Amino acid sequence: MSKARANLSSALTPELRVWSERIEQVARESGLDFFPLDFRLLDASDVNAVAAYGGFPVRYASWRFGMDYERLDKAHAWGLSRIYELVINTDPVIAYLVRSNLQGEQKLVMAHVCGHADFFKHNAWFAGTDRGMLDTMVRHAERVERCTERLGRERVESFLDIVLCLDNLIDPYQALRARLRRGEPQSLFPTSSLRTFDVLAYVSEHAPLEDWERELAEIVLAEARYFAPQRMTRIMNEGWASFWHSRILTGGVLSAAEIVDFAETHSGATATAPGRINPYKLGIELWRHAEARGEDLFRLRSLHNDASFVEELVDAEFVARAQLFLQPRPRRSGGSDAADRDPGRVKARLCAELAWGGVPRIELVDVGGARELRLLHHHDGRDLNVPRALETVSRVQSLWRAPVTLETRVQGSGRLLACDGAATEVRELPSPSVSERAG
Amino acid sequence: MNRIEADRARFREIVRGRIRADLGRYLSTTELIARQGEHAVSVPVPQIELPRFEFAASEDDGVGQGPAARGERSAESGDGRPGEGAAGEVPGQHAIEVEVELEELAEMLGRELGLPRIEPRGKRNLEAEGARYSGLRSRGPDSLRHARRSFDAALRRTIASGQWDPKNPRVVPERDDLRFRAGKPAPRPQSSAVVFHMMDVSGSMGREQKEIVRIEAFWIDTWLRSQYRNLEVVYIVHDAVAKIVDHDTFFHLRESGGTRISSAYELCLQQIRERFPNDDWNVYPFHYSDGDNWSARDTERCVELLKQDLLPRVNQFCYGQVRSAYGSGQFKKDLDLALGTDPRVVTANVSDRGEVMGAIRAFLGSGR
Repeated sequence: MSKARANLSSALTPELRVWSERIEQVARESGLDFFPLDFRLLDASDVNAVAAYGGFPVRYASWRFGMDYERLDKAHAWGLSRIYELVINTDPVIAYLVRSNLQGEQKLVMAHVCGHADFFKHNAWFAGTDRGMLDTMVRHAERVERCTERLGRERVESFLDIVLCLDNLIDPYQALRARLRRGEPQSLFPTSSLRTFDVLAYVSEHAPLEDWERELAEIVLAEARYFAPQRMTRIMNEGWASFWHSRILTGGVLSAAEIVDFAETHSGATATAPGRINPYKLGIELWRHAEARGEDLFRLRSLHNDASFVEELVDAEFVARAQLFLQPRPRRSGGSDAADRDPGRVKARLCAELAWGGVPRIELVDVGGARELRLLHHHDGRDLNVPRALETVSRVQSLWRAPVTLETRVQGSGRLLACDGAATEVRELPSPSVSERAG
Repeated sequence: MNRIEADRARFREIVRGRIRADLGRYLSTTELIARQGEHAVSVPVPQIELPRFEFAASEDDGVGQGPAARGERSAESGDGRPGEGAAGEVPGQHAIEVEVELEELAEMLGRELGLPRIEPRGKRNLEAEGARYSGLRSRGPDSLRHARRSFDAALRRTIASGQWDPKNPRVVPERDDLRFRAGKPAPRPQSSAVVFHMMDVSGSMGREQKEIVRIEAFWIDTWLRSQYRNLEVVYIVHDAVAKIVDHDTFFHLRESGGTRISSAYELCLQQIRERFPNDDWNVYPFHYSDGDNWSARDTERCVELLKQDLLPRVNQFCYGQVRSAYGSGQFKKDLDLALGTDPRVVTANVSDRGEVMGAIRAFLGSGR
C-alpha cells in the first residue's frame, strides 16, 4: 500500500482527525518528538493481514505470512484476541487503527502511537534502521517476484525457507560496532579476524551462491536487520508508549465516559497472568520507577535496550514492588517450591533473558582449511534445543556448501553438532572446550 | 487483501501435504490459549515451525511477575496463561483477550475435531419421562385454556360462517372454539455422567506434564458437559496411595515416592459402587500418567481390575500417557497388549501440547 495506492476509505473520520491532531499536539507539548504520523483506519480482518506481513502489506508472498494470518484470523474469529493497533517504524510513521475500536480506544491507540513514534526516532538502536522500509519492501517483493517467474515458485520458496532459518544469526550490535569503528584507529579492530556474530551476512557474502540466491539472502538479511531492534527493546518501547498514553489521555483528552473504556483496555493490555512477564506492564513500571528515582527519562529512552535498561534501573526496591521472582525449579524430592525473590538473582536472570534479544548468541569463530565453517554457541546457562539446532546446522551447511560445526554445551558437557552435507551428528567434546577459552 | 488469501491458500496446501512435502515434518498443531473464567481455553491451529537456533524449553522458565509463582498457593495461583496468539515482530501489535461462552466452545471443539454426539448407554438411560404442555385438545380445565388458540378458532368459525363484519369486528367464542393445553410425554435423554480424572502425581510428573493434563481435562469436561445435563467431576491423585482431591489441588499437588496405579483404580471403583450406580450414571474414567508403574505385578492387578470390575461399569476408559523425562512409557504398552482390542478402552500418547487435540479426538471420537 504505497502512498499512491493508499485507499481513500482508510482515511480517518473527521472527528478522529480532530482528535489525532489534538493528541499529537499534547504529545509534542509533553516533550515527545517524532516523524509525521500517518493514521489509517482498517477493518479488523485487514489489520490481521497487515500484522501477518509484519506490518508491511506490500511484502513478498510466502506461505509463512499465510500461516500467521491463519492464526490471527482464527484467534479473531474465535473471539480469543483481537488486534486493535499496529504501528510501523518508517518516516512518516504509519499507524493502523481498527475501525471497530471504541472512540476511547482510538484515542488511547493514537496516544500510544505517539510514544512508539518518539521511541523509534530517538532510541539509539533504531538509529540505523531503514525508515524507507515500505519502499524497500516493495523492491524486495519485486525481486522475489522476478526470481519466481524465472525459476518457479517451489525453488525460490525452498531457498527462502532455508535462509529464514538463519535470520536470527545477525549481530544486533552491528550498527553500533560500525559506528564505534569509524571513530577508532583502524588497528584496534584487526580486520584479519574472521570472528563475527553476523553469521548470516558472512555466509551470504562468502558462500558459493548463485546470483539469485545471494540476492534473496540479502533480502532476508535486510529485513532481519530492520526488525532486530524491535526485539531488543520490546519492554522499553511498550513501556514508554504505555507510560505516555496514560499521561496524555488522563490529562484532559478523554471524556469522563471514555475513561472507563480506557481503564478497561489499558488494564487488559497490562494484565499479567501469574508467573509471566508482560512487557507492557513491566515496561510501564520500569518507567514509573525511573521517574520516581528522578532519572532523565528522555536520556534513558535514547541510550538503552531492554537488557541495559533493566541493568540500570532494577534494584531491590523495584523487585519487591513489582513482585518479580524466579520460577521455582520443580524438585523430584517434593516439598514446597518457593519462588526465589532474591533481587540480585532475579535481576541477573532477567538481564540474561533479555540480552541479545532473547536468542542464543552464536558466533562464527573460524573457517578451516576445507572451508569448514565453525560456529560457537556462547552458553549462558541455558541449553539449546539440540534436535532443532542440529537441523539448523544442516541448513547452514546447505547454504555454505561445505562442512559446518556448532560447538555448544548440553547439561554442562561439551557437544559438537556437525554436518558435512551427507550426515549430521552430535559428538561429545572433551572439556575444557573452546567455549571456556573464548570467554 | 487478496494477496494474504493467496498466501493462506498456499499454507493450507502445504498443511494438507499437497505441496512442499519437505515441510511436513515441521508441521505441528499449536494452540491459541485464552482464559475462560478460571479455565484456560485452547484452540488448535496448524503451524509449521522451521528449525532455528533457540533455547530448549526448560522446566524452570525464568523470571515471572506477580504475588505467587506457579506451585505456590495464593488466591491468584491458578490457571491463567496469557494469550499468545498474536506474538509478532511488530511492537505496536496489541491484542487483548476476550471471553467465550462455554457452550459455544464445546460446539467449536466438536466442529473442529469432528466429534460425534454421544449415544448414552442402555435404553433405560436413554429415556426419562417428562411431560411438556406442547399439545392442544378441545376439552380441559379452565386453568389450561389457551386464549390465543381459542380466539383463533372462534375467528375462523366466524369468518367461515359469514358472520364477520369488518365494521363491527366482534368475535364471540362458543364452547366448541375453546382450546386447552395438553401434556405430551416427552422422552428426554437421561443425562447424568461422572468423569473421573485420575492422575499420577509421583515425582516424575513435572509442571509441563500437569499442564498438558489440565488442558486435556478442561476440554474433556467441556465436551461432556455439553452432552449431559448433569456432569460430576471427581479428581483422584495417586502415587503409591490414591486420594480424592479438589480441582485446584489436582493440578498443583506434587507428591513424591512411588507409583501404584491400582490404588487409583480401586478408589475409582469404590466411588462408582458407592456414589454412582450404573443405572443412573454414565461413567468416564480418565487416567493420566507418564507410564511408570511400581511393578509388573501391580500392572497385572490394574488389568484385572479393569477387566473384572471397571469396564463393565463404564462407558469408556481412557488412558493418556504424558511423556516426561523420567517415565518409561511402559504402562500404555501393557494396557494395549492386555486390552487393546476392547472398544471400551482407549489409550493415547501425548508427548507435548501439540498432541493434546489428537488425544481428545481419540478419546471422544467414538461417541460412546
